[in-house]
Amino acid sequence: MTETTGAAAKTPLLRLKDLDVTYSTGGGDVAAVRKVNLSLAAGDTLGVAGESGSGKSTVAMSVLRLLPRSAKVSGEILLDGEDVTTMKWGRLRAVRWGEASVVFQGAMHALNPVRKIGEQIAEPIRVHAEAGKVPPDAEVRARVAELLEQVDLPKSRAGAYPHELSGGQKQRVMIAMALACRPRLIIADEPTTALDVIVQAQVLDLLSALVAEHSIGLIMISHDLSVLASTCARIAVMYDGEVVEERPSAELMSAPRHPHSQALAAAFPTVGDPVSRYAPATATPLPPEPERAVEPGRAPLLSAEDLRVTFRDRNGAKINAVAGVDLDVRHDEIVALVGQSGSGKTTLARTLLGLQKPTSGIVRYDGNPVPMSGAGLKAYRRHVQLVLQDPSSALNPRHTVYEAVAEGPRIHGLEENELAIVTKALESAELRPAEKYFSRLPHELSGGQRQRVVIAGALALEPGMLVADEPVASLDASVRGEILALLLRLRRELGLAALVITHDLGLAWNIADRVAVMYRGELVEVGTVEEVLLDPQHEYTKSLLAALPGGTSVRTAVDR
Amino acid sequence: MSTPVSSPRAIVWQRRRAAVAKIWREFASNKGGLIGLGFLAVIVVLAVLAPVITDESGLDVTKATGGPLRPPSGEFPLGTDVDGRSVLLMTFWGARVSLLVGFSATVLSVLIGTVIGVAAAHFGGWLSALLLRFTDFFLVLPSLVLAIALSAVLPQGISTIILAVGITSWPTTARLVRAQTLTIESLPYIERSKALGGGHLHIVGKHVLPGVMPLVLANTTLVVGNSIIAESTLSFLGVGDPTEVSWGSMLSTALTTGAVTRGAWWYLLPPGLAIVVIVLSFTLVGRALETVLNPRLRGEHS
Repeated sequence: MTETTGAAAKTPLLRLKDLDVTYSTGGGDVAAVRKVNLSLAAGDTLGVAGESGSGKSTVAMSVLRLLPRSAKVSGEILLDGEDVTTMKWGRLRAVRWGEASVVFQGAMHALNPVRKIGEQIAEPIRVHAEAGKVPPDAEVRARVAELLEQVDLPKSRAGAYPHELSGGQKQRVMIAMALACRPRLIIADEPTTALDVIVQAQVLDLLSALVAEHSIGLIMISHDLSVLASTCARIAVMYDGEVVEERPSAELMSAPRHPHSQALAAAFPTVGDPVSRYAPATATPLPPEPERAVEPGRAPLLSAEDLRVTFRDRNGAKINAVAGVDLDVRHDEIVALVGQSGSGKTTLARTLLGLQKPTSGIVRYDGNPVPMSGAGLKAYRRHVQLVLQDPSSALNPRHTVYEAVAEGPRIHGLEENELAIVTKALESAELRPAEKYFSRLPHELSGGQRQRVVIAGALALEPGMLVADEPVASLDASVRGEILALLLRLRRELGLAALVITHDLGLAWNIADRVAVMYRGELVEVGTVEEVLLDPQHEYTKSLLAALPGGTSVRTAVDR
Repeated sequence: MSTPVSSPRAIVWQRRRAAVAKIWREFASNKGGLIGLGFLAVIVVLAVLAPVITDESGLDVTKATGGPLRPPSGEFPLGTDVDGRSVLLMTFWGARVSLLVGFSATVLSVLIGTVIGVAAAHFGGWLSALLLRFTDFFLVLPSLVLAIALSAVLPQGISTIILAVGITSWPTTARLVRAQTLTIESLPYIERSKALGGGHLHIVGKHVLPGVMPLVLANTTLVVGNSIIAESTLSFLGVGDPTEVSWGSMLSTALTTGAVTRGAWWYLLPPGLAIVVIVLSFTLVGRALETVLNPRLRGEHS
């Protein structure tokens, strides 16, 4: 534990001493947090990193005693020298929001959809006014306007309802709410997880600026080390309920000591770092690049020619989700399709799979146009398979692993040696021994295992190509590398081409051969990974790269 | 569930057995549901065994042995009706008609409701709009009036009552099934199934129906109760089969022959209470099943 110099004399803003949190569940007690010691001075910033289940959110929520009733807390939580665990109810209410506040993760769910955001920001101001001294409405309104200004929103937005705001704007409203009572400590629980790279960068900049300006203490929780590194002075890495490493950010990022911190750091590679090129973080070594003769003049495996998809919105206005895309995926290569949410990349993928009819344009597979209905389409689907983002909802919760993998072969009437097909597919997806998984249900598997089952279900049809829509976005850092390595291994061993849709440029750097950048329904830049990511030509690609939190940290490290 | 099995069929059956065992365990923890199930079991067994344990000839007016409207006695534990028949015997046999109509009408109504509900949700477009308006039409139609009209047009008898109850009670099931189907079809595993090449039949059969069935089952038990009430109402109004003894017709005769004015409570109470008990039992079981199968209905602290 490093103690900030000079802080030893003053009482730190927050100090956790031997904090233990145990949840009592039906299956006995589960220790979520074990002997955690942390301290934070006023104006200091601390990042807490860890995978899901590491106890990072429990630590943060224990500060305001926001844990469910089944949680048993022992140890001391000193907020300004006062122990939160022994506070009377009335005092605790005053401390919540008055001294410490929280920016919750899902801004879309943390705001009340039927109240104007101005009223919601004003709520804590009114609630926390001393009895009989509720400030007059004009004063409250002025304060709300001031808060909105602080988070860079026009004060006219006070009259807006949450659904009228974008994700980033809602997150700003959440921050304004957290600031409402001038707290001295803000706890931000994954404040940018659901946001796009560019919006994420804006929100992070805003948080850092506010913290510096008002000398507020900030505890930020995230699974992404690069996000923490760009906003926090120190980072504590949690693993299995314990703090395994706590050091200044730059030090921890450049030379993580604990194996778990190393895994977290490796999971979010720095674009441009030759070490992580074609090397996702995996425990098993990758096979070498196979020597395959490139056949010149061979038609691309899958190609889209001037593909357009137009939707109509509620008012009947046309929306060009995909506006004239030409894209080739060649044999034996992985293409990464990157872009913000709403850029049309998922629509493009669905159209390539025949799940969405194009308004105009042709999709060709191995040189032949893909039929958009009937038996031809069914036959085409054996060749191009889909891997979805969230493996927990991509599997029918009632079906066992065996049934999920056998679904494809059954549809296509390959029932004769079904057992052999399923076993082979599961083993190709690195679930060994396959028999062990046959009778499992999805909820009995971990996130990574579920995604392997989805991939096995696709492999069972022996496709020529996979279309993977954000295959690792909902997975933990350590699993992420393994799944990416699996995709790369499948390409090298079986020659399986893939189109990987992602908003994560690090992923492209990890495994892709070529990158296509999509912006507002059009491909603005297509080229090899090195060309596009190291020497971007289009403004949009440049802004995407600049918004990468890892990018800024590298830059500042060099500047210093 | 973790023992390795190698035969695909065995895997499926093992999973189903485990699922049923789990539902039973949760259902058994609901006292109301258990009590309702106990009552139903007793009533169904008695109704099925009625020809074995009682003598059907006692229902024949010409062979009636007791005097008219006698209060309960040793010979007739629940007294006699105007024709001197045992009220206990009639209540026994009335259960058969009530259960027969209740179950058959429910099967009919749930079948129509499920087919229309799934079709409206799965296909969408103009077909969905058409089916939904059709459902709305039946939903706003006063079902009792329709049932009476149907009974008047069709020949009198149990099958007419079944048809009348069946085709007036399906719209709620259709709405419920449609909502549940829409929820399931918006899940990514349906998209995965489509990408694997699955057609309409595959998606509906493998994913939608198994997902909808639990809710339909819970809904079914509630529909049975309503159907029994509808049957009693129709018989009471005199549109049922006059040759069959049912609880509704017993109440109807009691009213028309002046049993009420003569204070013959033993003639009114047994069929009345029987209707209350059986409907309450079905409701208890239905609600219990609903909470087991649809966890969203469970309270936070249960």
